[in-house]
Amino acid sequence: MKYACLLGRTIREAFVKEYGTCSMSIYALLTQFGDRYLSALFTTYKLTAAAFALAVVIGVAVTVMRIAPVKPLRMAAEFYVQVFRNIPGAALLIFLVYALPYLDIVLSYYVCVLTAITLIPSAFCSEYLMAGMNTIDPGQIEAARSLGMTFAQLVRNVVLPQAVRSSVLQMTNLLVATMLTTALASQVPLNPTDLTGIVSYINTHAVGGVTAFLISAVLYCVTAVVIGQVGSLIDRKVRVLR
Amino acid sequence: MAQEQKRADAARQVPVIELRHIDKYFGSLHVLKDVNLSVQRGEVVVIIGPSGSGKSTLCRTINRLETIDAGEIIIDGAVMPEEGKMLAKLRSEIGMVFQSFNLFEHKSILDNVTIAPRDVLRVPRKEAQEEAMRLLERVGVADQAHKVPAQLSGGQKQRVAIARSLAMHPKAILFDEPTSALDPEMIGEVLDVMTELAGEGMTMVIVTHEMNFARRVADRVIFMDGGSILEENTPQEFFSAPRSQRARDFLNSLGDRER
Ligand SMILES: Nc1ncnc2c1ncn2[C@@H]1O[C@H](COP(=O)(O)OP(=O)(O)O)[C@@H](O)[C@H]1O
Ligand SMILES: [Mg+2]
Repeated sequence: MKYACLLGRTIREAFVKEYGTCSMSIYALLTQFGDRYLSALFTTYKLTAAAFALAVVIGVAVTVMRIAPVKPLRMAAEFYVQVFRNIPGAALLIFLVYALPYLDIVLSYYVCVLTAITLIPSAFCSEYLMAGMNTIDPGQIEAARSLGMTFAQLVRNVVLPQAVRSSVLQMTNLLVATMLTTALASQVPLNPTDLTGIVSYINTHAVGGVTAFLISAVLYCVTAVVIGQVGSLIDRKVRVLR
Repeated sequence: MAQEQKRADAARQVPVIELRHIDKYFGSLHVLKDVNLSVQRGEVVVIIGPSGSGKSTLCRTINRLETIDAGEIIIDGAVMPEEGKMLAKLRSEIGMVFQSFNLFEHKSILDNVTIAPRDVLRVPRKEAQEEAMRLLERVGVADQAHKVPAQLSGGQKQRVAIARSLAMHPKAILFDEPTSALDPEMIGEVLDVMTELAGEGMTMVIVTHEMNFARRVADRVIFMDGGSILEENTPQEFFSAPRSQRARDFLNSLGDRER
């Protein structure tokens, strides 16, 4: 929701500044570049879905490591989270694109972008899960242990389900944040480009002005609002009663 | 036949729970001092003592929810290791009922009872559910099976916790002040279930302040103070003529209300 409001304000301000000075009408832009906007939207969705799914998988794995009864695992996972929680997305992307080739690792632009926008959210995902875990009464963990559950069974049956259920809202925000981070894709040549990349594309092929950005912004915004609504719906459904 | 009988008799000699020379510290606080305890099959042992005397710690030590600094815990002849699969297995053979119920709050009552049999003992879902319903029936909360713990009263939650323990077919159940968190009107319903269990021959170790209940169900009373077992006695003897001065003081401090 926070992101949606922010976007809304940006759009309003852009309108006030630029209204009337746009070189092409929204209508003209959509007839000329409608197909490209659609494929750009699709690219953004694809990147978002892939990055978020991977981030959750990695986030869960890292979280399990952070509570594992093996100290080196805990320390490695903690280090991972500290690194990726604190590195700027652009810096990570630059590293992946420009620095890795020096180590003889050359990844495609798509993989670089996907990696950058996966690793960072995965660290946040783990932070949210840890916070969710703190809502669990330690007594439940003792109960699980006294029933003979191993660490894996305890995590699977008691710890993770409750951590996930109580972090739905944060995960919703994370999904929106991940979508907005996909804009990093505009910094490398991708075909088809993402929703932010399309703006540069249009402005190098025509005089789209701020209207070209406006269309992208509305698409981001609508998506964010829908995600937010679905997120609160899910939260209300799965929240743990106490 | 005769030989089988002999073997069965021999098995009966092996205590279900045996603690040997247990020492435990919390930092510099010596909470358990050379504690020895053995509980025979079918026996109901009640642990009594002032607050802070180490009763909960002793109870939790039996399935190693607490680490120990010295000594041995032997469950039905098997030494309980510090960690690993064997520890989990031996724990699954000893049920535990807590003061604060500790039900799994995200799961239905039915799932609370089936989860461990299904995941730990690999009982098929349908079978586990049928058994769970029988157990919930037995403790009188079958009609709550599809609610979540937050929707139940304390007394109902504790009876579910007992059913959850029973679902593992434990060799013994430990109770740590199972009625201390309950409103007075709900204490009876939980004690009734426990009394029934005792009558059916369940091996039980019970920490409680309910003296009438203790007198009624105990085969043996253990009095703890300052981390040591000061007295082991029959309930008749313990409540009428306790051997140790501290037990006498403790019983007197409870006043006429409790006795
Ligand atoms: N986790 C802990 N850390 C430090 N001290 C503890 C802890 N748990 C219990 N104690 C202390 O150990 C002593 C025994 O506690 P406990 O076994 O809970 O007694 P009881 O159940 O008989 O009231 C008390 O002095 C208590 O303060
Ligand atoms: Mg206690």
